[in-house]
Amino acid sequence: MKTVLVVDDAAFMRLSIKNMLQGTDYQVVAEAENGKEAIEKYLEHKPDIVTMDITMPVMTGIEAVRELVKKDPNAKVIMLSAMGQEQMVKDAILSGARSFIVKPFKQEILLKTFSQFI
Amino acid sequence: MSEMFSNTSMLEMYIFETTQLIGQLENMMLEVEKKNSYDEGCVNEIFRLMHTIKGSSSMMLFNSIAHLAHSIEDLFYFIREQKPLTIDNSTLCDLVLEGIDFIKVELEKIKNGSEPDADADYLINRIKEFLLFIKGGTPNLKEIIRPEKNKKQQYYIAPDVKQETEEVNYFFANIKFQKGCEMENIRAYTVINNLKDISEELINFPEDIIEDEKAEYIRENGFDIYIKSKSSKEDILDLINKTIFLENLTFKEIEEKEAKEIFRKPEKIILEKEIKIPKLESTDEKAEEKQSTPNHVAQNVISVSVTKLDQLMDLVGEMVIAEAMVTQNPDLKDLELENFHKSARQLRKITNELQDIVMSIRMVPLSTTFLKMHRIVRDISKKQGKEVELQLIGEETEVDKNIIEHIGDPLMHLIRNAVDHGIEDGDIRETKGKNKAGKIILEAKNAGSDVLIIIKDDGKGLNRDKLIEKGLEKNLINKPIEELTDKEVYNLIFHPGFSTKENVTEFSGRGVGMDVVVKNLEAIGGSIHVDSIEDKGTTITLKIPLTLAIIDGMNVRVGEARYTIPLMNVRESFRPVKEQLISDPDGNEMIMLRGNCYPIYRLHEFYDVKTNIKNPMEGILVMVDQTEKSSCILVDELLGQQPVVVKALPNFIKNTKNIKGIGGCTLLGDGSISLILDVNGIEYGE
Repeated sequence: MKTVLVVDDAAFMRLSIKNMLQGTDYQVVAEAENGKEAIEKYLEHKPDIVTMDITMPVMTGIEAVRELVKKDPNAKVIMLSAMGQEQMVKDAILSGARSFIVKPFKQEILLKTFSQFI
Repeated sequence: MSEMFSNTSMLEMYIFETTQLIGQLENMMLEVEKKNSYDEGCVNEIFRLMHTIKGSSSMMLFNSIAHLAHSIEDLFYFIREQKPLTIDNSTLCDLVLEGIDFIKVELEKIKNGSEPDADADYLINRIKEFLLFIKGGTPNLKEIIRPEKNKKQQYYIAPDVKQETEEVNYFFANIKFQKGCEMENIRAYTVINNLKDISEELINFPEDIIEDEKAEYIRENGFDIYIKSKSSKEDILDLINKTIFLENLTFKEIEEKEAKEIFRKPEKIILEKEIKIPKLESTDEKAEEKQSTPNHVAQNVISVSVTKLDQLMDLVGEMVIAEAMVTQNPDLKDLELENFHKSARQLRKITNELQDIVMSIRMVPLSTTFLKMHRIVRDISKKQGKEVELQLIGEETEVDKNIIEHIGDPLMHLIRNAVDHGIEDGDIRETKGKNKAGKIILEAKNAGSDVLIIIKDDGKGLNRDKLIEKGLEKNLINKPIEELTDKEVYNLIFHPGFSTKENVTEFSGRGVGMDVVVKNLEAIGGSIHVDSIEDKGTTITLKIPLTLAIIDGMNVRVGEARYTIPLMNVRESFRPVKEQLISDPDGNEMIMLRGNCYPIYRLHEFYDVKTNIKNPMEGILVMVDQTEKSSCILVDELLGQQPVVVKALPNFIKNTKNIKGIGGCTLLGDGSISLILDVNGIEYGE
């Protein structure tokens, strides 16, 4: 079982991802509503993979990636972006995110993206 | 909807969250409109809200909502990045509010299980046009695309470049992505990024692959990678094959000699292994942080379905009854049971606490309902060209969830009326020496087991003569005019079909409504009072109970039957003396008390119950408050006062017969059923 931390300010998105991962080899061990929480949860759970929303209150996904990678260079963060956020995705990747997924996405894409890092 | 989301809880979550976000957005827009300015935090927040809605909606495949949200998001992205100096604020607000309405309607459809099928294109086009328009008015358009960070070569080497003792292999790969996967440049970058973990050295073409301009090239031609790695061919191939949206891969091993050629060139800059970290975002993102922090204090809240709460409430109700059945069990009478009573007391204490807690769970602040009124006021006043300010007081007051649902519509109607009929046009107000802008105060406060909601406007007030004239015309007055109290006159407005406004407007004045308002309120045990001073304004007070589920009741007996009178209606109870009893010329029984006359209703006659007590002086009179007056109800005896759980009459009774004066039923401690009286229904029919 691989562990996943889901970071998104929308409870709906968190639930979506959780549902998609149900019955797969991945288990959502923690959820966070913003970047700050994400870092705390990451240090607590040390998940194998982090899915990270970009626009979030308190601390954006990009800042969170930066912090996370500083704390753990091996952190595997996958950005969840929406159409029209190219620049932000780029910033996130340059900050150390490993990959990105564009919303809306299907389970297949999510799992395939994960599999790159396991 | 795709099968993936057939799961209802997902849908529920979507609806719940989106509704909330839309609500926040609406309030924010109204505030913005009022202040007529956008601060950065606000724009950021609107952007973020729209962004979230877009994300969730597109996941649920509600495309029209997603596209609409996207266009509004674009709009605010522009405003955020560009900070245009002049925006037609009113058009912007109109557009966004229209968008909000659209999404609301669609959400409602989704809630009711139908497909959100409306077409948002028209609205989206208008938003796009508006965006173009404000773009036109802003110089330096190019800055929308954020300034590029200065890029350097992207050659990667693993930290230990020193001496390779192990065997190294060289590979070449050309990777092409599927059509339409977008952001090819960034995708390519991540592929390279992943490969570097198992590579000694890596060269890619085109260089600077993350630059936006490279996307087109990669889309057409793919991109090339030269890899120097200790890993086996299989490992590398495997990793590349996992690439998302991989369309075509050319992969081959290359000879060491050839490879050395290729890898020589960049040797000088090979130490540029640092990945540059972009500078922190500009200040606006920080502003966002500050702005939103107070709103997002981590809270441990879960959402529970109301049905479950209703069930819980029901169960607690049953438990309260069961507790009474055990502790007041007739079998225990006259027994010395010290320990039992001790435990029973403990049980009672806990059930009471449980009941309180469950009640409090169901309590919701009025603020959501109140805040909606801003929108109502805005829409009407804008349409009618009036200036109206709505002030909310005490919106944190809590009432039962069920009640909240029932007062939204009546409130809306009253507020509409206040703006439409109450507040005068600006010029007229000025001639009367009032502020040009009208003011409506919406206030809530607790009063015992009731909540008062007060709607106060400073408009023209009710005109007694006009009301009477209209009342006569509609044949609603059956008393000499001089005898009519102000209150009776004002109450005319609650009659069905009564309307003094000559011109029916879009918002109010069709004469339907006020009576509906009253009906809605009465359905939840509330009442309404009007007070008015001409040219000073009108005050409408709604009195609504905190909760419907549990009431304090006075249990009474008539013959074999038990009744419960809601304590809030009971004024006093007493045994009359002969001198007080009188009868009016029609032979109706009355009682004279402290100089006032009250009608007497014999409950045994009213419900045709057999009883031996037919003389008021042998029974007990309970004086109850009815809407307009007070009356006395004759019962055999009082059984005591206790909180009772209100249960609706079973449908088979409701459907067969409409029993006047019965509001529901409850179970008493001994297991018998008691009918709860609706005192307003107790009067002799015409």
